[in-house]
Amino acid sequence: MTKSHQHPLGKILDSRIAIIDGAMGTTIRTYGMKEADIRGERFKDSTKSLLNNGDLFSLTKPEMIGHIHRRFLEAGADIIETNTFGATSITQSEFFVDDPRERGGRKDPAFYQKVIDDQFLGTLVWDINEQSARQCREWADRVGTATSRQRFVAGAIGPLTVSLSNSPDADDPGFRVVTFDQVKAAYTQQVRALIAGGADLLLVETIFDSLNAKAALVAIREVFDKDGKELPVMISAAVGRGGETMISAQTTEAFWNAVRHVKPLSVGLNCSLGPDLMYPFLEELSEKADVAISCYPNAGLPNPLSETGFDLGPQDMARYLGDFARGGLINIAGGCCGNTPEHIGAIAKALEGQPPRKWRPAHSEEPYADQIASPA
Amino acid sequence: MSESDSASALQPTKAKPLRLSGSQPFTQQAGVYIMIGERTNVAGSPKFAKLIKDGKYEDAVSVARQQVENGANVLDICMDEGMIDGVTAMTRFLQLLGSEPEVAKVPFMVDSSKWEVIEAGLKCMQGKGIVNSISLKEGEEKFRQNAAKVLKYGAAVVVMAFDEQGQAATYEAKIRICERAYRILVDEVGFPPEDIIFDPNILTVATGMEEHNNYAVDYINATRWIKANLPHSKVSGGVSNISFSFRGNNKVREAIHSAFLYHAIAAGMDMGIVNAGMLEVYEEIEPALKELVEDVLLNRRPDATERLVDYGETLKGIGKAVNEKKAEEWRNGTVEERLSHALVKGIDTYIEIDAEEARVKLGRPLLVIEGPLMAGMSVVGDLFGAGKMFLPQVVKSARVMKKAVAHLTPYMEAEKEAKAAAGEVVKAQGKIVLATVKGDVHDIGKNIVGVVLACNNYEVIDMGVMVPCEKILERAKAEKADMIGLSGLITPSLDEMVHVAREMERQGFKLPLLIGGATTSRAHTAVKIAPHYSEPVVHILDASRAVPVTTSLLSDEGKSAFVAQHRADYEALRKAHSAPKLSVISLEDARKRRTPIEWRAEDLPTPSFTGVRVLNDFPLAILRDFIDWSPFFHTWGLKGIYPRILEHPEHGAQARQVFSEGNALLDVIIEKKLITARGVYGFFPASAVGDDVELYTDSTRGAVLERFHFLRQQSNKEGNEPCRSLADFIGPKETGLRDHIGAFAVTSGIGLKELCESYRAKHDDYNAIMAEAIADRLAEAFAECLHKRVREEWGYGCAESLSAADLIQEKYRGIRPAAGYPACPDHTEKGPLWRLLDVQANTGMLITESFAMWPGSSVSGLYFAHPESRYFSLGKIDRDQVVDYSKRKGMSVAEIERWLGQNLNYDPAE
Repeated sequence: MTKSHQHPLGKILDSRIAIIDGAMGTTIRTYGMKEADIRGERFKDSTKSLLNNGDLFSLTKPEMIGHIHRRFLEAGADIIETNTFGATSITQSEFFVDDPRERGGRKDPAFYQKVIDDQFLGTLVWDINEQSARQCREWADRVGTATSRQRFVAGAIGPLTVSLSNSPDADDPGFRVVTFDQVKAAYTQQVRALIAGGADLLLVETIFDSLNAKAALVAIREVFDKDGKELPVMISAAVGRGGETMISAQTTEAFWNAVRHVKPLSVGLNCSLGPDLMYPFLEELSEKADVAISCYPNAGLPNPLSETGFDLGPQDMARYLGDFARGGLINIAGGCCGNTPEHIGAIAKALEGQPPRKWRPAHSEEPYADQIASPA
Repeated sequence: MSESDSASALQPTKAKPLRLSGSQPFTQQAGVYIMIGERTNVAGSPKFAKLIKDGKYEDAVSVARQQVENGANVLDICMDEGMIDGVTAMTRFLQLLGSEPEVAKVPFMVDSSKWEVIEAGLKCMQGKGIVNSISLKEGEEKFRQNAAKVLKYGAAVVVMAFDEQGQAATYEAKIRICERAYRILVDEVGFPPEDIIFDPNILTVATGMEEHNNYAVDYINATRWIKANLPHSKVSGGVSNISFSFRGNNKVREAIHSAFLYHAIAAGMDMGIVNAGMLEVYEEIEPALKELVEDVLLNRRPDATERLVDYGETLKGIGKAVNEKKAEEWRNGTVEERLSHALVKGIDTYIEIDAEEARVKLGRPLLVIEGPLMAGMSVVGDLFGAGKMFLPQVVKSARVMKKAVAHLTPYMEAEKEAKAAAGEVVKAQGKIVLATVKGDVHDIGKNIVGVVLACNNYEVIDMGVMVPCEKILERAKAEKADMIGLSGLITPSLDEMVHVAREMERQGFKLPLLIGGATTSRAHTAVKIAPHYSEPVVHILDASRAVPVTTSLLSDEGKSAFVAQHRADYEALRKAHSAPKLSVISLEDARKRRTPIEWRAEDLPTPSFTGVRVLNDFPLAILRDFIDWSPFFHTWGLKGIYPRILEHPEHGAQARQVFSEGNALLDVIIEKKLITARGVYGFFPASAVGDDVELYTDSTRGAVLERFHFLRQQSNKEGNEPCRSLADFIGPKETGLRDHIGAFAVTSGIGLKELCESYRAKHDDYNAIMAEAIADRLAEAFAECLHKRVREEWGYGCAESLSAADLIQEKYRGIRPAAGYPACPDHTEKGPLWRLLDVQANTGMLITESFAMWPGSSVSGLYFAHPESRYFSLGKIDRDQVVDYSKRKGMSVAEIERWLGQNLNYDPAE
């Protein structure tokens, strides 16, 4: 049974809107890093370009990543995310394994089984996740102590570069490049390392494909059961203009029905649309879900002319999320792509003193929800 | 009603709706019955089953689409069928549905009696579906585990009212089991109560058995109790079962279904599985019928069943209602009616009296056969063809027919002699020579085909088993047969069939050749046999297909069209077969991918003895407890899993009947010791050397006693699945570890031949086939029972406490593969086994030139004890392995290719 009701974040969520950090990738780009920087000593002989594999910076430029974590914390984030969005063997294989399609082959379960079993990738994903969680832990505790305000580390579990719901083969809609068990195995490696590094929470986020997310949630459950340690779980989907998960086309309420058994600490939406387009789906989720609601949208839509690459500045984001708060929709707020520490600072300021969304657990047998809603 | 309403309503007992999802959400509406689409269930829809078996998944997806278009809220998907690989079919079908937006929007119900199929389904659903089903049948531990897994994946669950004692029939048992299951699920597993769906068993009423009269009331009351006492839980059920005793009378069934639903829904039933085409609108049931139906359902008067049966008869010509008290009324009809009734119902009590009366009335014996008897059999044939009668019934009808014919035969002989004396020629309607080919002793299926053909007035010349080619052809010529039918079960028989086809071509035969038996297939017939013979060579899938084929082949009008279609079909099959082969890896690479086992001395127990032990006259009463009944039903053409099949909506009554008659015969066999079970087994020091296993004369391991040769999987499998060989499960010699192997050969066929002959002499084919089916089960049971003893003697089995069901599902450590089966398809490996155990001297069991075992009801194989050992299917192998294997075995490559024809990934002729 879940132990998350003892979690101090529960109490915070009952009294105010908690702040989650912004975009790691966007912020990294402001540091002007080059290919050689990300390679460092460890990856200097890699054959493929690694610059877009930002998770590696946690190994090769830990001081820069630490600096970014620190800036988000100082801007007011209660929760910072590990720099592990793509830190699974499956996603890392894009950067380290030759693509069989270049030689006329294809990616299929046999290919991904080799990826899952690959020693190099296994060590790599352990190191990224464990190190990143450790770095976050350190900065969260340092800033927390300095400001007398407890901060939390969310182990970020991203969506993968493959889909369990779609066939890339136009002639065979029943084909899948990867199996459920392989996806589960990849997530299992990541989850263990995040917990070992000291994460407080696990955040399954930017869910494009609900079946991938299910595999992650099953992996989490199995790790909890096997290792005997349990953390609160946060779940966040990325929906398109119709309110459906971007790849598996599942609507918001259907998605909630599919993950509710996990008894997450929160469910919410992130990434994809800017905050204005997200509103109706957030409202729907807020109405249906009997857990905390999180929301960390992109800073609007991509705009190559803007400094951050996105439309909205810090004050715009602060205004939108302020509206969400006044609408009684959210318990956790922050930003996704395009949101720098300045954006998060503005959001934190705008939400200060705003009452959190009220919800009543529909299930009395969900102990942590009771505790959060009505602390003793 | 939204969630927040329910939360704020301060009504703690207000039921929470069932919430599910596909790509769209589904929320149960208060008071609205949930429609479950049930046409995507192989057990309920023969059409769907055929699509899946034929690999026509696109058409299967359109069945699903139609269900959704017709308003199904949830799709029930079931792949439980003997010929379907459930995990593969479930995965493939759900992945296709996942890519079909119109279908993917609804939640799916994954329906299987096999947990691995359910789990495969759960791995394909992005939404929240329903698992159908789990139960306490195998105890609380298993129940808890499975429920926790369902919860882990996030699905609602159907819980059958079953416990360790079996299915709950009474109200008390239903509520006791449901409450117990609910408490475990809610209190211990943490299962959301609104996601628990009870199925408190809808059982058949109006069976004529008084104790069944209250079944509908029990279900309805149990439903009411569950909804009142187990907060938020749901109730479902398989509706068509209720009216099973009225099968054939759809008018009555439809009325029963809707009246039953009417009362069950009022009591709180939330959903159910029912064919929407079999549902009358409650309000439109005619009042008289409605009252009679409700009398039955609500058990309102003791004569309710009879009254409904009587009324039902007026609605339909052939009422099928079961009513013992009416049983003798048919005796009042004309002699023609009585003969027809006796045939359709399979009643032989008065058949000789009636046949005699008809002979006197009609004047000539042949007129009786061609008149009322054939008329009766054609009713049987029509009903069977329309799926309204089942094989066991047909076989019983045939028994009655044979008795009638036997009574008339002397009169016909007398007539024939008179005619022959007068110089006339007598021609039968159709004559077929049937035989199990040389080297093979299996004939249950062939016997059933023979009986079915005889029912249809064919003259059947059954030559029995192990019949050499020249004998078959001689007899066919001598008898002026119209057709030859060949049967065989073991793989080498396929080559013998090719030989027969070649000989028929050489000798210029003009008869069609029919091919049947368990290892035969349409594809094999088309590709390997048909090209050798110019006349039609037709594969017969099962006994039910025999008559349409023979009729077409012998019909003057229909033959040419049938043959043209047949040739086109087989040509297409040959084309498909010449398509690209599977990808295989080299033997060298396959060996690198052997089963990864970390060899440790503690995993290699030492058996309590080595050498050979003989079991003479093993008690049949002990074996009975080890019987796996499911294949028994298969023999009778009833496909399903025991005990579930006993409650099957369509086959259940038939299954119950053959089951009880089989058990009655088994009682007699045991009591009178009509057959004898004998066996021999042993343990031997052994080591794996490459893909061979060496057995040693003693524990010094100095001298090799015998050597078994194994084959290794070579197909290029997904992921890091190993390429297995049975040799992987024995400690390799180079480890220096002291491993052992076991071997066994058992039979329960001693005396069987005499027993069957005694039945056939009495024209009782039904019991002859039954005896063979029972003996087959006893042989398998013997192997299972002995395996248990072997595990104990080996030490590692002492601690296990497994039920008979667990044994059937092979939940124990270790395996007992048999030569000729998927893991080691080479039948010739029985040779070393026979030498090793001196089987012939110790038990009297023989092996034929085709390495079939005699008597037929026999099992032999090897025992592997390592915890990692498991069954697998060899699949296709390549030429490199065949060459290697032939060297190891000291046989020629061509010889090996002949024995392993089914496993070759290449054409030896190329």
